[in-house]
Parts: sequence; C-alpha cells; structure tokens
Amino acid sequence: MTRTDARQLGKGLAFVSPWLVGFLLFMLLPIVLSFYYSLCDYTLLQPPLFVGLENYRDLVHDPIFWQSLGNTLYFAALTIPSALFLSLGLAMLLNVKMPGQAIFRTIIFLPSLMPIVASAMVWMWIFNGKIGLLNNLLSKIGVSGPDWLGSSTWTMPALALMSLWGVGYTVVIYLAGLQDVPRELYEAAQIDGAGLWSRLWNVTLPILSPVIFFNLVMSIIGVLQVFDIPYIMTPNGGQGRSTEFIAMYLNDNAFRFLKMGYASAIAWIMLLIILVLTGLAFWSSKRWVHYQGK
Amino acid sequence: MPSQRPHPERWFAFVGTTLICIAFLFPLFWMLSTSLKRNDQTMEDPPRYIPNHIDWHHTAGGLVLPIPENYWAVITHDKMDFPLYTRNTVMIAVLSIIGTVLSSSLAAYGFSKIKFKGRNAMFALMLGTMMIPFPVLMVSLFSIFRWMGDHTPIQMLGTLRPLWLPAWFGSAFNIFLLRQFYITIPDELSEAARIDGCSELGIWWRVILPLSKPALMVVALFTFMAAWNNFFGALIYVQHRDQYTLSLGLQVFQSAHGGTEWNLLMAASLLILSPVLVLFFVTQRTFIEGIATTGMKG
Amino acid sequence: MARPATGDRLVLSVKHAKQIIVGLVTVAAVALLLTPARHPEVIPTGRTLVRYWGYWTGVEADAMQEIIDSFNDTIGKDKGIWVQYISISQSDQKTLTATAAGVPPDIAGVMGDQLAQFAAMNAIEPLEKMAAEHGITREYYKPVYWDACSFEGHLYAMVATPFVVGLYWNKQIFQDRAEQLRAAGLDPDRPPATLAELDRYAQALEVWKDGHLEAGGFFEQQPGWWREHLYDWFGGRIFDEKTGRLTLDSPNVIQAYDWMQSYSKRIGPAEVSRFASGLPDVNTFDTPLQPFVTGALAMMKQGPWLANSIEHLRPAMNRWKMSKQEESKLPREQRKQNYMWGAAPFPSAVPGEKNAGFAGVDILVIPSTARHKAEAFEFIAFVNRQDNMEKLCSLHCKNSPLAKMSGSYLANHRNPYIEVFEELAASPHVHPVPPVPIWPQIQSELRNIAGIIVQDVGPQSSPAHLLAEAQVRYQAELDRFNARRAERRARGLLQ
Repeated sequence: MTRTDARQLGKGLAFVSPWLVGFLLFMLLPIVLSFYYSLCDYTLLQPPLFVGLENYRDLVHDPIFWQSLGNTLYFAALTIPSALFLSLGLAMLLNVKMPGQAIFRTIIFLPSLMPIVASAMVWMWIFNGKIGLLNNLLSKIGVSGPDWLGSSTWTMPALALMSLWGVGYTVVIYLAGLQDVPRELYEAAQIDGAGLWSRLWNVTLPILSPVIFFNLVMSIIGVLQVFDIPYIMTPNGGQGRSTEFIAMYLNDNAFRFLKMGYASAIAWIMLLIILVLTGLAFWSSKRWVHYQGK
Repeated sequence: MPSQRPHPERWFAFVGTTLICIAFLFPLFWMLSTSLKRNDQTMEDPPRYIPNHIDWHHTAGGLVLPIPENYWAVITHDKMDFPLYTRNTVMIAVLSIIGTVLSSSLAAYGFSKIKFKGRNAMFALMLGTMMIPFPVLMVSLFSIFRWMGDHTPIQMLGTLRPLWLPAWFGSAFNIFLLRQFYITIPDELSEAARIDGCSELGIWWRVILPLSKPALMVVALFTFMAAWNNFFGALIYVQHRDQYTLSLGLQVFQSAHGGTEWNLLMAASLLILSPVLVLFFVTQRTFIEGIATTGMKG
Repeated sequence: MARPATGDRLVLSVKHAKQIIVGLVTVAAVALLLTPARHPEVIPTGRTLVRYWGYWTGVEADAMQEIIDSFNDTIGKDKGIWVQYISISQSDQKTLTATAAGVPPDIAGVMGDQLAQFAAMNAIEPLEKMAAEHGITREYYKPVYWDACSFEGHLYAMVATPFVVGLYWNKQIFQDRAEQLRAAGLDPDRPPATLAELDRYAQALEVWKDGHLEAGGFFEQQPGWWREHLYDWFGGRIFDEKTGRLTLDSPNVIQAYDWMQSYSKRIGPAEVSRFASGLPDVNTFDTPLQPFVTGALAMMKQGPWLANSIEHLRPAMNRWKMSKQEESKLPREQRKQNYMWGAAPFPSAVPGEKNAGFAGVDILVIPSTARHKAEAFEFIAFVNRQDNMEKLCSLHCKNSPLAKMSGSYLANHRNPYIEVFEELAASPHVHPVPPVPIWPQIQSELRNIAGIIVQDVGPQSSPAHLLAEAQVRYQAELDRFNARRAERRARGLLQ
C-alpha cells in the first residue's frame, strides 16, 4: 500500500466512520448472533441449543415457507414494476409547472404519511365486497366485483393496489432527482427537434437512472420484508394462506411459535434471495445506469 | 418546461394529475368523513359520503367552538395525553433528523467521493445490513441496550434514546440515497476545490452539501416521517406511559372486543397527519426550485 | 380543484394560504409544547415498582387501570408496592424481547393460548404455592378456568378476565320470518336447542333474492373467532393428555369441520363467499358492518361482550321496546324483553349434552426471571378478589371466572343474559385451550383449514384429508419439541 493509498483509506474511513461505528456498536453483534441462532433451537425464553443445519433442512420441507415465499415473489412481481412506472410517471407529471402544483404534490405524498391502522381500515371499507367503493364503481361499468379480501385469488391484487397508494415516498425521491436534470439539456434536445418521448428517453431517464436504480434496489429489499399491511388486512395469512408473506411467517415463528432459531434461518434465506436479486440489479446497472459524475 | 407558449402537454399533464389526485384523495376523504360522524354512523349500508350532521364542540358555558366534537375529544382525551405525546414525538423526530442528515451525508461522501481500498466491500456490507429483517436482530439489540445501561453511563432502556440515538450513526437507506445523488455531482467540482486548498471536510461542507439540498431535504423529510410514525420501535423500547409517541397513543381508540371508536381513531389519525402534511406542503418547493447544479454539468 | 385559467390568482392565494397555515401551525406548536403533561406518573418513594405489561388497550385497559389505581391506594400502600401498567396492543413481542434480554416485566398479561408454551419452557413461575397462601384454591374458580391456567398439574397463571361462547339470536328477524320458520316446523319464539335444529333454523331464516343469498341464518365463519375450537361443540379433542399425542384426525374433530363445510356444500362456496364479501373479516369484526348488528345474520356465536358491542354499534337493539330508563324500573327477569336479541348455549352435536363449548381466558403470568414475584402476586391476587374480579368482568362485559358470584354483579351486568354465560362457564362440558406446548402452531393450522374448507368443497379440501395431513406434520413437530425439552433437561439447561 502506497502512502497515498493509506491516506485515502484514512480519509475514507474517517468519513464513513459514523456508519462504521454504528455498525460495530449496534449491528455486528446482532447479525452474527442471528446467524448463530439460525443454527440453534432458540425459543427466546431458554438458552439456545445448537442443532447444526437442522433449521435449514426443515425449511426445505416446510410447505408454508415455500408458499409464503411464492406469495412474496408474486407480490413483488405485481408491485415492483407497477410502482416503478406509476411513481416515475407521477414524478414527471408533478414536475411540470402547473397551477396547484404544491397541492397536487401534497396529495400524492399524503397517503405515505397515514398511520397504518387508519389506512387499513379505510381500505377494508373500499375493498368490501358488498358496500365497498371499488365494487360500487365496478358495478357502474357493468362488472360485478369479487370479495377482494376474502378470496384467495383477489387478495393479492387488492394488497398490491393498496400499496400503490403509498407510492408518494418514491415519487418524492424521483422529484428530487428530476431537479438534477439540467435545463440546457432539454433546450439542446428541443433545438435538435426532439419530441416529448425522445427527450424522455434520451435525456430524462438516463440522468434519472441512478435514482431509478436506488428505488429498484430499495423496493426489492422492501417488498421481501412487507409485513404490516397484510398483517392487519388479512390476519392469519388470508384464506388458505394466500397472503402469508415471508416476513409474516418469520414474525410468527419468532414471536408466536417461539422458534427464533427457525425464524433466523428464514431471515438468512431471505438475505440470500435479496442478495441475489440486488446482485442482479447491480450487475445489470452497468448497462443502464449512467453516472454523470464519472 | 422550456417552452414559452402554452403547450398541449401541459394541459394533458394538468388533467391527468387532477384525475389521479382525485383517486388518491378518495380514501382520505372517507377518513375525513368518518372522523366527523358518530361512531354508530361510521359504516352504513349504503355508505354515507358526507355526514348529515356534524357535532361541534360546546363548551360548558354553552359556547359553540368551530372544532368538531370528535377532534376535541381526541385532543382532550383523558387517556391520550396528546400534547405530551406530540412533544415526545417531536423531540425524537428533531434529534433523529439532525443526526441522520449529518452522519449519513458524511458517510455518503466517503462512499462516493473518496476512493479507498475496501470501499465497495464496505458499501456492499452496508446494503446487506438493510436486508436482514429487524425482528431477528431486535432481541440482540435490546440486549446491547441493556448492556449499555449496565456498563456505561449511557442509560438506554427506560429512556427515549433507543428511538433516536441510532440515527446519529447514519442509516443505510439514507447513505445509499445520498450516495446516488453525490455520484451525479461532477468530480471536477471537488477537484477544483481541492486545488484551491480545501480539505475534504471543507469540500463536503462547502461544495457537496449546498449542491445536494433536495436530496438532504428528502432525507430530512423521510426521517421525520419515520420518527413520526414509528410504532414498532416505540412499542419495543418504551417503558413508561409518559414516553408514549403519537402512534402508540393511537391505540387508546382501539379495543379488542366491542368499542373501537373508529370516528375518534380517524380524527386522531388526521390530527397526527396534519403537521407532516403542512411541513411537506411548505417545504416541497425545495424540490421544485432545486439548486444551481444547472450549467455545471453536461 | 381550480381551473387552469385562474392559475395566477390561485398561485397567489396558495401563497397566502401557506402563510396563514404556517402561522397557525406555529401557534399550535408553541401551545402544544408549552402545555404541561396532564398525568405525570409519580411513583411514591419507598414503593417497589411492579411493572405490568398487557395487550389490552382502549376501554379494556381503562378498566384494568381502575383496579390498579385502587390497588396502589390500598394494599399497595400498606405493603409498599406500586403497580405500573403499560398498555400495548402487541405486548407479546415486547414482553418476549425484554424477557430474552433478561429484563422482563413482573407481570405479563397474555392470552391463554400461550400458557402451555411458556410453561413447557419454564418461562413462567408456578403459582400454586403463593395462591394457596392467599387462600386461592381450585374450588374458588369455575373448574374450566383453573384448568385453563394449569399445565402438567401446576398452576402457572391466574385469570385476568375469562369468557365463554354462546349463541346469539335476533328476535326481530325470527319474528319477521316466523312464517318460514313455522313452515319448517320451527318455533320462532326460541333459539335452536340442538345442532340439527340449528341447521334447520339457519336454512329457514335465509333470504334469497334473484338466486343470491341476501340474508343468512348462521355461519360458523362469522365471526370465526373460535374456528380452531369448533370440536369443543362436537365432543372432540385434538390432544390426548394421557398419551401425549395429537388427535387432529379423530372422528369427532373431522365431524366438526365436516359440519362447518356442510354449509358451503349446501349453499355453494361461491355464494357463501359472495355473501361473506359484504361482511367484515375476522380481525376487524368490531365495525358497524358486523352482520349480527346489521341484521345480515340472524344467529351468531359470540361472547358475553356482544351486549356492550351492540350498545356501541347499534344502540337501538338494546332499546327494543322502551327506553333504558323505563327498562330499569322493570324486575331483572323482564328486562330481557327490551333487547332485540337473546342469548343461549350454542347447541352441542353430542346428544343430551347441554352447555358445551369453548371457554377462553386472558391470563396474568409472572416471568420466571422477574425481580418482584411476591409483590407481583399480591396484585394478581388482588385482581382475583371477588369484588375486583366482578368489577373488571362487568367493565369488560364478560362472565366471571369465580365459582361464587354476588347478586349485585349479576343484577347490574350489562348483558341481561349473563346467567346463560355463567351457567355455560360452570358446565363440565366446556373446555379450555388444549394443553399442547405447540398450540400456537396448531391454532394457526386449524384456522387455515377452516378457511380452506368453506371456500372449496372438492376432495382435496375435505376436512378428513387436511386434518390427516396436519396430524402427521404437527405430531412430528410435537415429538421434536418434546425431544428437545428432554435434551435441555438432561443437559441441565432447564431448571
């Protein structure tokens, strides 16, 4: 290591030290322990009993684990692309100068602020099969809507729809990202005769790509940990466990069945899956993410 | 938009946004409507969208105040000390914001602007910490807090510290977010400052921070929201009723068998929501006007 | 929404609005921050702090707080104890986390479902000795509640509040459909007395319109809170205490879920689901959409608190013939006529068996690592004193767990049919949660099975098939639990 290298290392470590210290202080031990627990029978109330890979072996044969994993991936497939398009589209709309812009932005952002019990109650009313607003609207166009939260087929789309309502979070990140798009680039593109789509494709999206990438990674991480909405809306995992999410199953194992060792094993499998997915995202990012700074 | 003359695109955007906003508003409208009803009217078949009657608060002296009775009931609720819980929550939020913004932007600077050995591995590790579900870390974390109380002067359990102190050590989400923004800031800017004899800390403070105002605002806003709605952390660490946060206090209106006061729950939710709403409404301009990065890149 | 033509003016008014809002909020914020705390809890010096964490919130928590206040003012004062209650809806996670970290509360309020699990892990303190010192023995309780607090012959908990499940019927609907009931050979002036009769009542009370079910008679899945205990009304058991084996696939258990499925078979799962779509689900049942309150269901399984729930959701049902004031002038027996509903035991499938079913408890336990066990028990015993327990049960609108009841408790209970529930609770045919350490897992699976069988009536979804599968899976789970328990004991990891 040269002297410059060492100096760089020192400087780098100094800057990341807030995180590093926090990591060593609050995260390292819990993470290491959770891995150790995943090799134990640990009930929380008794000392852990080492059982080797038994928890992982059990997971392979656990139908509920596979079902909840499938449900989670299905939910991910439903929400990640749709949330991406919706939030990006909304951010662009909200970036256009128009009367009432502040109000519009506030409205879109509002749902993400809602206490979860309150929004769950409202959505249960919306999804109610008989007097619910959604079926009321559907009946106006001649469609007889299903029992959204009671049917194993429709609960998942219903939950996905509800999660899209909370897209304001991502919209705000995109809005901030859009401020980075230099106006000159637009003007140059316009002088070149580029239309709306071409400007979007050639100017906005490339510049926004680091932020899109961030949101993609975060939504992969987030969706695999989805917990509170299904937990409140469809307790016990819905009809036939159709909305048993992996994070719910983990939580049940940890705090209801008192199988913390098993729950930790689930966590590490989840980590592995997320790692693979984000790894894929990072790998693909070389092709589509453009960092202006470089 | 660059064009001076009225553009059909803008009309399209306006109409589209209006429609989407109406759809987004609907659930909120229902909350508002519910919050003004009597509890036995909260769910009627067919649904009543606009309450037929709103009870305004009557003072003991017979004066009618322009505050709906349900909202008055929430603010003065015997079991939910609204002012106290607001104060607790504000304190947690403010301390978290200061801590997170400073520490996360420092770390993000390190991860984006300083090239050092092991940076990528460390960054990957940081991302990895976000991927482990909190429930499996919770118990060990709790033990650490307990240990700190027993062996250091910093008492954690029984105080509100577990809810804001960790924010001072940066949060992976925010570091990642800020890094993505910092990366887009051209290196020539920091190089120029370096040549002018600026230290790294100086570059961070004088060049990067001013340029990343929108992103910092986002971090601040998200931190505020997270602190404001933090239910789980409060649930686990709070040991005393005087330490309740607003989201914990909401539970006063729920009940297992018979008697959840939906109207009060909605009124309380809207009350809790309102400060964040106002804050966002007032500060969202930062996202509009952005910053003067224009002209420095491309 | 503003029209774009007035854009400029709107921007202006928005700016003003902003200033006004900011001003108002500042004022509100300052006012809020300056307001002193309303009830700062000060623990008097010299008192031992007993921390009590429970999942009751709202009115239930308020009721317990009254008992706590009264304890702190009397016995607590004499013996130097101060009980402090933290009320959190998901207190189990909090309690477990704190216990695992070695700082448990002194008292935890948990559900009866968790007792066997905690006890088998030696995580909670056996209480029979302290109970005996306070003169509390089995005879003090209705037997089912003592059993609900016991595991392997030891007492591990005491009752916080109990309940028992009965059948509610809507007198108005029975009258409105008297013709149909009579045509089916049924009496519209009384509830069904046998299970076969209940089926006939349910069918006769159904209202169909254009091929769709408009109003129902009875569905086990509404609210479905006790679907994992359904066999208790069929003489079935899912656990044999003598052999220590699960009996999930025993005939009476299968019969119970076959019966539940028979409604979907008769009406058609699609129609059942269509009907259910208008109703709130299991976890949010306590809304004004609750079908017994709206009249969508003529009969429903519920606990004693439904009287109170109705008072909140549709007060008119508790004032059927006259005002409350007039009602209060009547002798107690006659007050029942002022209620649009009646309550009775839910009929048992076992011929000749009266007053059968499930009895549940919320319990108070002392973690085995708690610091102030004796002080904690002082409070628990205080809660179980007849006057306090009756007060608590009255406020929660539940029945009493105690063998003896005072006349004033019965006379003033908010459920005019409380005697029905007290008799039920005292019956030898009511059962508590099965004493299986892995009950939470079995409970979750039984709920899952109950959900499947009402939505699908195909052979893959037959109760016999699903229960046989569950039997294999959870017997293996139980065997392993027992093996590890034995291993811990052998290695001295279990005290």
